[in-house]
Amino acid sequence: MNLAWIGAGLAVGLGVLGAGIGVGMVGSKVAEAIGRNPDAQGPIRTNAIILAAFAEGLGILSFVIAFLLQGKTV
Amino acid sequence: MRQVLIVVVAANVAALALAAAFGFLPPWPDIHPPHTIGTPLFKIAGDDISIANTHFTSWIVMATLIGLGWLATRRLEMRPRGIQNLVELVVQGLASFVVSVGGKQAVRFVPLFGTLFLFILLANYVELVPFVGQPLRIGGEEVEPLHGPTADYHTTVALALVSFIAYQFQGIRKLGPGYFSKFINFSGFKDGPLTGVIMLVLVGPIEIFSEVFRTLTLTLRLWGNIFGGAVSLAVMSALLVVPAFALPFIGLELLVGLVQALIFSLLVLVYIVLALESHEGHEEGHSPQEHGSGGDGSNSRSEKMEVAHA
Repeated sequence: MNLAWIGAGLAVGLGVLGAGIGVGMVGSKVAEAIGRNPDAQGPIRTNAIILAAFAEGLGILSFVIAFLLQGKTV
Repeated sequence: MRQVLIVVVAANVAALALAAAFGFLPPWPDIHPPHTIGTPLFKIAGDDISIANTHFTSWIVMATLIGLGWLATRRLEMRPRGIQNLVELVVQGLASFVVSVGGKQAVRFVPLFGTLFLFILLANYVELVPFVGQPLRIGGEEVEPLHGPTADYHTTVALALVSFIAYQFQGIRKLGPGYFSKFINFSGFKDGPLTGVIMLVLVGPIEIFSEVFRTLTLTLRLWGNIFGGAVSLAVMSALLVVPAFALPFIGLELLVGLVQALIFSLLVLVYIVLALESHEGHEEGHSPQEHGSGGDGSNSRSEKMEVAHA
């Protein structure tokens, strides 16, 4: 059995956990902000996409680690 | 829309009923997990350069976009109708979005933004067409004729490097040598030697690292999302007995493809706008006078250029 595969699974699972929390926080605050000021919907949404993309980028890194681990044999 | 759904669901239920009655499933094509990169179709110039199915698919995407542009601008009219109207609607929408993000000065970057957005959008949607990214049995041997361009990280790294060069070039053109003061930062020394050393040793390398990280995440975000979508479509098609049960996931992937195309091009636009921003606080350290006049001069020049372009 290849332990690196377990490591790959853990890397994605735990890494994406943080990114998911980050994107969720951005989303909740954006919904709040649009609810409070619907006229500013356009710029808020644009900024939200950018900020969510930054949070997501860190999750993508764990995806890369998983791919690097996948090719490894112990 | 509702009729289509009813027909699809009815066909699936009928197929399942047949399968239950006769104890076998219709001969669905084999569904393979997609490859992370494209496979070479043939080689040119002795084994040095191989033309992969990814190239082939991105040529199809490019031909579609170029053909659409050619058709729309073939007979230009003052009162647009038909395809010219549609393309003008798209271009105006992109331009107004760019202005809403980067202000008037960003109008110059509508071509880059729009090209990236439209190419990535179409490339993402090509991946959703059935049998794209799946090996087919043609003439006795298995070949994979088509592979979504953005589901291959070579395409996305190329797009990310083009964007990297674009925004570095725009920053250098606007700010001149002062652009590099972001990376080698002496501005902290006016607040004392300790602050200066910390700024020089910490802030500069962090900026350099963030440049590398930007390119890396631009590449991998797009590839990871589209490749992951392709994997989930393949898995769901194989798992749900009847491939058409994966239809809801196509809807999800349509949304993901649009959002990822928007994120990629929007981030490139934001990086360009950030590169154009002069950071006077950083530059006062070495040449305050020169920067003051130079900054104003380049500002007015770029404004004139915008007027000329508009």
